[in-house]
Amino acid sequence: MAEHLLEALTYPPIQRAAIACVLCGASCSLLSVFVVLMKMPLIGVSMSHAAFAGAVLGLLFDFNPFLSGFILCLLVAGVLGPLSDRTDMSPENMLGIMFSFLMGLAFLGMGILTRTKAGALNLMWGSLLSLSGSDIWILTIITSLLVLFVFLFFKEIRSVMFNRRLAAASGVPERMIYYALLFLTGAVVSSNLATVGGLLIFALLVQPGATALQLTYNLEHFFLISAASGIGACVSGLVVSYIFDLPSGASVVLMATTIFAVAYTFSPKRRSAILKGRNKFYENDAR
Amino acid sequence: MYHESIIELNGISVRKAKGLLLGGISLNVSRNEFVGIIGPNGAGKTTLLNVIAGLERFEGTLGLFGRRESWRRSRDTRVRIGYVPQLFQIDPAFPILASEAVMTGAIGRLGLFRSPGRQEKEDAMRLMDMMRLTHLAERPLGLLSGGERQKVSLARAILQQPDILLMDEPTANLDIAVQKEVLNLIDEIHKQEALTFLFVTHDFNMLPSAMRRAVLLDHGKKVFDGDINTALSGDRLSRLFRYPLETFERNGRRFVSYG
Repeated sequence: MAEHLLEALTYPPIQRAAIACVLCGASCSLLSVFVVLMKMPLIGVSMSHAAFAGAVLGLLFDFNPFLSGFILCLLVAGVLGPLSDRTDMSPENMLGIMFSFLMGLAFLGMGILTRTKAGALNLMWGSLLSLSGSDIWILTIITSLLVLFVFLFFKEIRSVMFNRRLAAASGVPERMIYYALLFLTGAVVSSNLATVGGLLIFALLVQPGATALQLTYNLEHFFLISAASGIGACVSGLVVSYIFDLPSGASVVLMATTIFAVAYTFSPKRRSAILKGRNKFYENDAR
Repeated sequence: MYHESIIELNGISVRKAKGLLLGGISLNVSRNEFVGIIGPNGAGKTTLLNVIAGLERFEGTLGLFGRRESWRRSRDTRVRIGYVPQLFQIDPAFPILASEAVMTGAIGRLGLFRSPGRQEKEDAMRLMDMMRLTHLAERPLGLLSGGERQKVSLARAILQQPDILLMDEPTANLDIAVQKEVLNLIDEIHKQEALTFLFVTHDFNMLPSAMRRAVLLDHGKKVFDGDINTALSGDRLSRLFRYPLETFERNGRRFVSYG
């Protein structure tokens, strides 16, 4: 079986799929650290649907779907960013409205699309085996930007994740970090429409971070564990889909869920927290 | 001791969808003063701190360190104002240790691309020692008790090396013994560091002893500004809180009986 896989790797489309898998896993899982720790899963959903709707509209008007997806992401970020600065209204409702509006827009585009709908369907669940060289380049550049962002601004990121208002008050460029993050979210999500697609990407924006949350209190390790579990899910998902001839996107998502379930079951943090709670209970009792 | 005003508010108003949160507040605070901001819920106490901290848009003029400032301001000005918030929720699993949370106070001051050096680490250790947190330094913040987390917030704010320290009900939701401990630490900091303090509270019997001046707020307006013992009169407080309150004196300090 191993020979079989190695032989497959000599075909360029499979090579591209393998590289894209690693890049997709890395970019989505680094982003998922922010999504999980800054409690912004709804922003993640809205952005991925913006990318999807933008790409469908791109197909409709013969425009590069990556670019149109990215542009719509930026527009949505431009609305979401200031919204989260306002303290007098709950952003959840607004996000819900935005999310359903974008979904409506995407389906409207698909309905009007007269040519074959295969292109639009690929945007929904990705098409790892039909990636072009430029898809790979875009993914490489965006993943590198994200890695660079995390490296260069690590201490600011920690401070903003801990508490945005306190960070802002103490002179940390909180808005710069936050808007850079929204921008990168748009870029990662729209460049991964081609790999896992607009619907399944959400799993990779939450599960790697949620996995790391079970395993460590160290933020450096958190990023590494998240990346490892994201890349692991993508690569193992691709292998499983190749061997058993299953849809690749679905396999990736199910692998990510499996990894999360294992981490949750064996989470040392959860156990120590439970034990700690029990000790505290006894201490109070003794008093 | 200086008597130069380092905070000057002139006709400060904050308007929101739900109404006027602050309606034309004027207030001068001198260097090294310790001012209490007291009032019922919705009086505008936190909004006032947010205006000074640069977290809220406002109308009117605000002078800080002798310069006019808006809510958008330079990093230098922000670094000179520390903020200790009310106890806030944190996910117990959140990946930050107590010592790392303290260190976030130095990040703005250091600026981009500079890591905390030996000096910052020593300062952080000294502060954690002062707060009796040394043994908890390597514990995840989310597993600490409320009182311990508030002491981390205090250490964090002082590591920033501010000139003004804003405190928004730092002892709310803590046990009485822990409240007293945090208040004593605040008094200790006031003795050691040349800082100007603004302390928001609605608990008259849990005040730091260094607080000599009180500003009473009601519905976004200043209704009293003066000596703390004059502020704590039964009539005045009953009117302010719309509830009959009496005061009594013990050890030269006024206390309020909730009847």
